[in-house]
Amino acid sequence: MSAAVGGGPRAPAVPASPAARAPAQDEVLAARLRHRVAAQFGRSLHIRTLDTGSCAVCEQEIRLLAAPHYDLHRLGFFFTPAPRHADLLMVTGPMIRAFGVAARKTYEAMPGPKIVVATGACALGGVYQADAFVYGSVDGILPVDVWIPGCPPSPLALLQGLLVAVDRLAENVSGLSFTAGRAGAGGPGEASR
Amino acid sequence: MPLWFARGLRRGIVTTHYPSRPDSSAAGLPTPPAFRAAAIDGRLADRLAEVCPSQALYRDGGVLVFDVGRCTACGRCQEEAPGAVLPSGEFELAATSRAQLVKQIELVQQAGR
Amino acid sequence: MNALGWLLAAAAGWALAVLVSLAGGGRPAATRLCCALSALGGAAALAGGVSSLWWGNSRVITAGPAEVAGALQLQATSLAGVFAALLGLVAVAIAAYVPRYHEPGPGSALYLAVYNLALIASVAVLAAGGVVTFLVAWESMALLCYLLILRHPGRDAVAGGAFWFLALSETGFVLVIAALVILATKTHSMELSVIAARARLVNPAWRDTAFLLALAGFGCKAGLVPLHVWLPEAHPVAPADGSAFLSGLIVKLGVYGIVLFAFRLLPVQPAWTGLITMAGGAVTAAIGILYAMSERDLKRFLAYSTIENIGIIVTALGAAMIFGAYRQRALAAFLLLAGLYQVANHGTYKTLLFLETGVIEHATGTRNMDRLGGLIHRLPRTAVITLVGTLGIAALPPLNGFVSEWLIFQGLFQGFRTGSHLLGILIVTAAATLGLTGGLAIYAFVRGYGIPFLGMPRTRPAGAATERGQPVTGPALLAVACAALALGAPVVLLVLARAIRTVTGVALRPVLLPGNLTVIPAHTDFSAFSPTYLAIFLVAVTAVPLLIYLAGRPRADSVTVPVWDGGMVSFRPRMQYSAMTFSAPTRVTFEALYRPSVSVRRASDDPAGRSGPVHYESEVTPLFLRYLYRPVIRAVEWLADVIRPLQSGDVSLYLFYVFLMILLAYLLGAL
Repeated sequence: MSAAVGGGPRAPAVPASPAARAPAQDEVLAARLRHRVAAQFGRSLHIRTLDTGSCAVCEQEIRLLAAPHYDLHRLGFFFTPAPRHADLLMVTGPMIRAFGVAARKTYEAMPGPKIVVATGACALGGVYQADAFVYGSVDGILPVDVWIPGCPPSPLALLQGLLVAVDRLAENVSGLSFTAGRAGAGGPGEASR
Repeated sequence: MPLWFARGLRRGIVTTHYPSRPDSSAAGLPTPPAFRAAAIDGRLADRLAEVCPSQALYRDGGVLVFDVGRCTACGRCQEEAPGAVLPSGEFELAATSRAQLVKQIELVQQAGR
Repeated sequence: MNALGWLLAAAAGWALAVLVSLAGGGRPAATRLCCALSALGGAAALAGGVSSLWWGNSRVITAGPAEVAGALQLQATSLAGVFAALLGLVAVAIAAYVPRYHEPGPGSALYLAVYNLALIASVAVLAAGGVVTFLVAWESMALLCYLLILRHPGRDAVAGGAFWFLALSETGFVLVIAALVILATKTHSMELSVIAARARLVNPAWRDTAFLLALAGFGCKAGLVPLHVWLPEAHPVAPADGSAFLSGLIVKLGVYGIVLFAFRLLPVQPAWTGLITMAGGAVTAAIGILYAMSERDLKRFLAYSTIENIGIIVTALGAAMIFGAYRQRALAAFLLLAGLYQVANHGTYKTLLFLETGVIEHATGTRNMDRLGGLIHRLPRTAVITLVGTLGIAALPPLNGFVSEWLIFQGLFQGFRTGSHLLGILIVTAAATLGLTGGLAIYAFVRGYGIPFLGMPRTRPAGAATERGQPVTGPALLAVACAALALGAPVVLLVLARAIRTVTGVALRPVLLPGNLTVIPAHTDFSAFSPTYLAIFLVAVTAVPLLIYLAGRPRADSVTVPVWDGGMVSFRPRMQYSAMTFSAPTRVTFEALYRPSVSVRRASDDPAGRSGPVHYESEVTPLFLRYLYRPVIRAVEWLADVIRPLQSGDVSLYLFYVFLMILLAYLLGAL
C-alpha cells in the first residue's frame, strides 16, 4: 500500500448549500482510503498535539485524557512529542498566520500514513474569522480527516473523535438532526433520517 | 502509604469504561443546542443568528443553518429563546467530513415572509 | 640480526634521512626521499622492538673504554621493546603523513632534520645501557622536541608553549640526574644492568629517595599532575605531526623512565612508593579528563586526554608495584603487562587522532570545535579513520582500548589479594576513579567526535572543507594497527607475556592464555575474558539482524524531508549544540575544580537585555596554574628582584666581589 497522505476531501470553509448535501463520489473513495489507513494502526496509535494559537483549554482537556478517569492508554493511544514517531496530529487553535510554517513542517515531518484531527471550535472555523493574523480554520494549512467540535470538547468527545479516526467507532453526528421533539423539555435529538 | 493503598482499594476502579459502557459524567456536559423547528420563524432565526458569538447560526432563505463545528455551547441562543432552543445532550460529535457538521433546520413559514 | 642491530639500523636510516633533508633544502622530491628513509628506519625500529620483546635482553655494547664515564653503552631490553615498537610504528605513520602536510621549503627541511634527529635520540633513550648515555640521549631528545614545537616561531603562543615544555623538561631532567647519580654512586657502576643487579645493596632510604626523584622527574615528561601543565600549552602550537610525536611517543618515554626504575633498576620496593605512584596516576586520570571537558581547541582537548591515559597507565604500574611488595608476583606481572599494552594502544590511537586534527586544521583553517560541524560529509575518509581512533580511545569493544583497560581493571579489582585491608580498599578506590574517568572519557569523546563531524557546519569554512590533497595513508595505517592490536590480542598478549617473563621472571603464559584465546587475569578463580570471541560476538550481533532486515524489508517508496528542527522558521546551524553546552552538566557538577571566571557585559541596563547584545566571557584557568605555578613563578621573580642589586654594572664592585671570594676561599682552605 503506498504511503497515504491524510485523506478526506477538503471540506469547504463555508457550510455547503442544501443542494450539495448528497455524498459525493470522492467522499466515498476518501472514506475507503481512510478505513484502510485506520486499519494499519490497529490498537496502537501515537498522537502528537499541536497548538496553533488556542486559549489552551482544549489542551487541558487533552491532558485530562491521560488522567486515571479517562486513561487513553487502555485504548492503545499514546502521546509523543516527536512528529517522526507520531501517527496522528491533533490540532487545536485557529491557526494563526505566524504558525503556518511550523504547522506545515510538523505535518511533513510525520511519516505516512498519518491522520489529522482538528479539535475544538477554533480549529473548525468558529470563534475567529480569517483576517490578517489568523487563517481562522486549520483546514487551510493542513488536510483534516476528523473534526471534533466543542469549546472545549470534553475528554469523552475527544475519545470518541480518536476512536472514529481509527475506525473503532462509527461516526455518529451525520445521523443527528439537532431538532427537538414537539412536546416536553430538551432531550437528545431524534435521528430523522 | 498503606492508608492511601487502603483508600484506593475501597474506592475501586475509577476509570471509565467508555466506549463499551456509557459514562455517567456525560450527563453534566454543556452541549450544542437542539432546535424545535415548529417554534422558530424567520424573525426568531435572525435574532438567534445575531446573538450567536461564533457565527454558528445563520438564515438561508427558509432554512436555519446550524454549523455544529462552530458552536461553542455558550447557551446564548437558549437564553434568547428558551422555549425553542434546548440543550441536545449530544457530545459524540466527531465528523469525518466538514459537511457532516452543517445542519439544516426548516423554519416555520409565516404569512408575509 | 638481533634486536640491538635492528635499532642501530633504524638510527642509521634516520641519520641518512637527516642528511637527505638538509641537502635537499625542502624540495618535494627530497622530502619524499627523507620520509621514505624515515619510514624504513621506523620499520627497523618496529622489528627491533618486537624482536627484543620476544628474544629478551641483548648484550651491552660499549663504544669506547669501559672505565670512562662518558662511554657510549647500548643495550636492547625487553622492557623497552614495547616502546621501541611503538616508536617504529609512529615513525612510519608520520613519515607517510609528512609529504602532504608540510609545505615545501627550507623551514620544512630543517624541521624534518630535527625530527629525525629526535627519533635517533628517542631510540637512544630506549637502547641506553648506561647512565651517561641515557642522560645525554634524554636531554637531546628534550631539546630537539623543543625545536620541533618551535616550527613556526612567529605565530601566537608558540614561544610560550615551547617554553613551558622546556621549563618542565629541564626541571624533570634535574630530578632524573639526581636519581640516576644516586643509584650510580651507591652501586659503583654506570651500567644500567649492573645497577639493576646490585640494587638490593642500596640503603632503603637512598633507594626510595631515588625512586621518588625519578617519579617526579619522569612524571614531568609523562605529564603526571601537577607537572602536566606543559601538555595543553605545547601541543596546540606544534605542527600536527609534532604533536602526534609528542603525545604518541615522548610522553611514553616518561612512562618508560618510571617503568625502568620501578621494574628494572629497583625491583624491590616498599608498598608505599607504589601507593604514591598509583594515587598520582588515579588523580592524573581524573583531572585530565575533567579538564578535557572544558576545552574547545581540538588539540588541547587531545592533550588533556593524553594526560588522562598516562594516568591510567601509571595507576596500573603503581598497583603492580604494590602487588609486588606483597609478594603477589603474578598479579604484579599481569598489571605491568596490561600497562604496557595500554602504552602501545594509546600511542597508536592518540597519534592517529593528532594526525587527523592536522588534516582538519588544513581543511577548515581552524581547530575550534565550535566552528566546525558536518565534516562527516565533507571529509568522509578522515571521519571514518577518526571514528576508529575515537572508539579505541573511548575504550569501546571490540577495539584495542577496551582490551587493555579491561585487563587493567581486572588486575585492580583483585586488590583484596594483598591481604592488607587498607591497601585493598585503596586499590579498589583507584579502580573506581578509573571507572569515573572511563565514563567521562566516553562523554568527552562523544563531544570530541560529534561536534566537529556530525550535525551541520557552523561556519562557512567548515562547509567548504575538502579532503583533496590531504594525507590519508599514515592515519589509515594507524587505524589498521588499532584493529590489529584488538583482533590480534592473543598474539600481542603472547609476545608481551614473553617479555614480562624476561623482565620479572614470572611465567604468565600458562595462566594468561589457557586456550590461547581466553585471558585470565593471573588467577583462575577471578574472571575470564576473550577479546576474540567478544569481537566475533559483537560483529554477529550487529550483522545478523541487519542482514535479516535488509533481506526482508518491504520495498516502500521513501520521501526525503528536511531534518525536524522543531518547526523553526529559519534554523541556523549555530543553533546546534555547542561544545561547551554539551559538556555543561559535567562542568557545573565539578565547578569547584574549574572555578571559571565569568564576566557579563550588557549593552544597556535594561534588565530584560533587549536593547543590545550581551557579551559573555567565561575563562577557565586550571587550578594548578593559578595556585601552584603562579605563586612559584612570582616567588622566583621576587628572589631575582632581590638579587638584582648585586648586578650594578659597576666594574669596581665586581672586582670587590672577586676579592671577597678569594678571601673566602683562603679562609675555607685554612680551616
